[in-house]
Amino acid sequence: MNPRKLLFSVVAAIALLAAACGGNSPSTTGNETGTLTVWLMNGSAPQSVVDGVNADFKAKHPNVTVNVEIQQWSDVTTKLDTAFAGSAPPDVMELGNTLVAKYASVGALEDISSKKGSFENSGTWLQSLTDSCTYQGKLYCVPYYAGSRAIIYRTDMFAAAGVQVPTSMDDLLTVGQKLMAKYGSDKNFSALYFPGKYWYAAAPFVWDFGGDIATQSGSKWQGAINTAQSQQGLTTLNTLVSQLSRADKTGDEAKQDQAFAQGHIAMIIANGWEVGVITSPKGGDPTLASKLGAFPIPSHNPGQTAPVFLGGSDIGISAKSQHQALAQEWAGMLAGTKFQSQMVTVGGVIPNTTTLTSLSSGLPAVFAAAAKNSRFTPNSPNWANVESANVLQDMLVSIFTGKQSISAATTSASNQIATILNS
Amino acid sequence: MGVAGDARARVASRPQLEAGPWRHIAGRHLLPYALIAPALLVIAGVLAYPLGMLAWLSTQHYGLRELIQGQGQFVGLQNFEFFRTDPQFRYVVTVSVIFTIVNVALSMSIATGIALLLERVSGPIRVALSAGLVLVWATPSIPAINLWQWMFDYEFGVVNWLLTRFGAGNYIHHNWFENPIQGFTVITVIVVWGAIPFLALMLYAGLTQVPRDLVEAAEIDGARPWQVFTKVTVPILRPVILVLFSLSTIWDFGVFNQVWVLLSQRPNKDYFLISVYSFQESFRVSQYGLGSAAAVVMVLILVVVTFAYVRQTVRLTTEAV
Repeated sequence: MNPRKLLFSVVAAIALLAAACGGNSPSTTGNETGTLTVWLMNGSAPQSVVDGVNADFKAKHPNVTVNVEIQQWSDVTTKLDTAFAGSAPPDVMELGNTLVAKYASVGALEDISSKKGSFENSGTWLQSLTDSCTYQGKLYCVPYYAGSRAIIYRTDMFAAAGVQVPTSMDDLLTVGQKLMAKYGSDKNFSALYFPGKYWYAAAPFVWDFGGDIATQSGSKWQGAINTAQSQQGLTTLNTLVSQLSRADKTGDEAKQDQAFAQGHIAMIIANGWEVGVITSPKGGDPTLASKLGAFPIPSHNPGQTAPVFLGGSDIGISAKSQHQALAQEWAGMLAGTKFQSQMVTVGGVIPNTTTLTSLSSGLPAVFAAAAKNSRFTPNSPNWANVESANVLQDMLVSIFTGKQSISAATTSASNQIATILNS
Repeated sequence: MGVAGDARARVASRPQLEAGPWRHIAGRHLLPYALIAPALLVIAGVLAYPLGMLAWLSTQHYGLRELIQGQGQFVGLQNFEFFRTDPQFRYVVTVSVIFTIVNVALSMSIATGIALLLERVSGPIRVALSAGLVLVWATPSIPAINLWQWMFDYEFGVVNWLLTRFGAGNYIHHNWFENPIQGFTVITVIVVWGAIPFLALMLYAGLTQVPRDLVEAAEIDGARPWQVFTKVTVPILRPVILVLFSLSTIWDFGVFNQVWVLLSQRPNKDYFLISVYSFQESFRVSQYGLGSAAAVVMVLILVVVTFAYVRQTVRLTTEAV
């Protein structure tokens, strides 16, 4: 069977399934029984929000049990593959916004285009999250929340070194050098802590100089990480890392908040919610709370900010779920005004709707503002495979450790990305 | 005559047993099959079926879409054809083979040394040493690797601290995994550490079976310790050594946990042993056909290598009989 026929039959099957489901009662009655399985990611919704959604859901559907299971980012694609291959995948699952296309394109997710209007705030959903949920013009998930990165810094260290928040990339280097001069005798000190595999913190440098990961012309993808602009961004970053960072050049960002809490770091590039991890009594240092500030990653053009990757999550409903209506209702509650407001005030994330962004205050507001100049990864079902194959992470490690020149490393990564995206 | 004659007489005295030819045939021909049937069923269920599935998958294009539909696309030997031209796969196989040779050699020779030591030390020391070995063997693999990971940690690792403290140079912020040779050295240490207890205890058990008088006779004839070891001990231990060699080869060629856990589930391409490659292709990139084909190549290489061992073992047993 050729791919096009295959695609056609998948679409036809989904359409039939959707029609079959649509024929049944579209709304819930409150008499349903059964178990609804929900997968949420580690660190996404605060426990109080999950408990709140479950309590409200229980009040409407006393006979339905909701099992919320927390998954880890590191192996979630393996688990999702396995779950979707089986006959009983979770009914509702949180999906990283870069993963949706992969699962939507193979028919794992329910097409909820016709139900869009029934979700609260669907008219004001964040455009880039809605885009990540859209595959070939159909809606396959509900936007959940967004996150963007900015630089978290120690206000006390900045004051002691007599430096101000930098307003350009050159300025960032100067500020970092002054901090290194002040604190550098401490062998563990990093002015800007940057682990080698931290691709999503490197992307803003590439984008800021006009580079990109890959570009699409027609249906064909072309790697762009080796263009002159991209290389210029990576060169700038390489200078910053080699002078300001003593982080593991082959490590990832998983432990950066714990490292920051140890007190030997002046700046990290981080998500808004990481402030909570740094100041958490478990593994963090609560006394840092009054010494933290944040500013957007500066552009190389003075006074502007660099575009950041808009991360985030969406909520999908499995096509194989036996409880479509219940699953949609649960997802709708988590994505609705009541709990999205709590996600902002308690969780410190960017909500899924523009009507609630004004709720951000203090540090989270800086991150919300940074998100206004944001970019997304190539929207292709194969993008998840680029991430899984660690192409960009390996490229950064090669550059930072000096194993390959920037031009050699980017050329090889660019070819790999094009191969994977076009496969 | 004797016993046989008695038996024949007894059978003759029970004619009802020979009355039905069916029962005769059933008894003579089917009973052995019936007896091995459960074992065969188990082997078919846990070995033949998965291996067959693996071989079948390796001839398919089996991505995520196919996985969800449970229906692959037959591509013949295309997956293997891909390996033939893929420089990365050639690297993977070469590294796996070198890694296996080094690890088998190191773990076997250190284990033999420890086994000889066990034989010579006094009772209490032997108990303490064996207990230590058993404890290592009993440590679950994943927590053990996590402990090693901490010890070799870039920022907080005790190894870097110790080396710096004892003047071996400046190891503050030394990254053990930046250079793959160093990284594989660390992995080898962990694999060998984990393999030694079993090998040493098996070899020690074998050593206790070497007849004392043979060794004494050789010594009286003027054999030096090394000669006693190579001319008396090793030939007697040969069957055990062969089995341990083939087991070690199989284990070390399939090393996965050490790499995967040590490198936080995101090893870079330098660290792709064949098992890691197969896992990455299957469960990370969702190319189950390609991943299976890599696993088939792995099984084939192992079959060829272990065949030599098995033939030696069979030859030894026939000689013994």
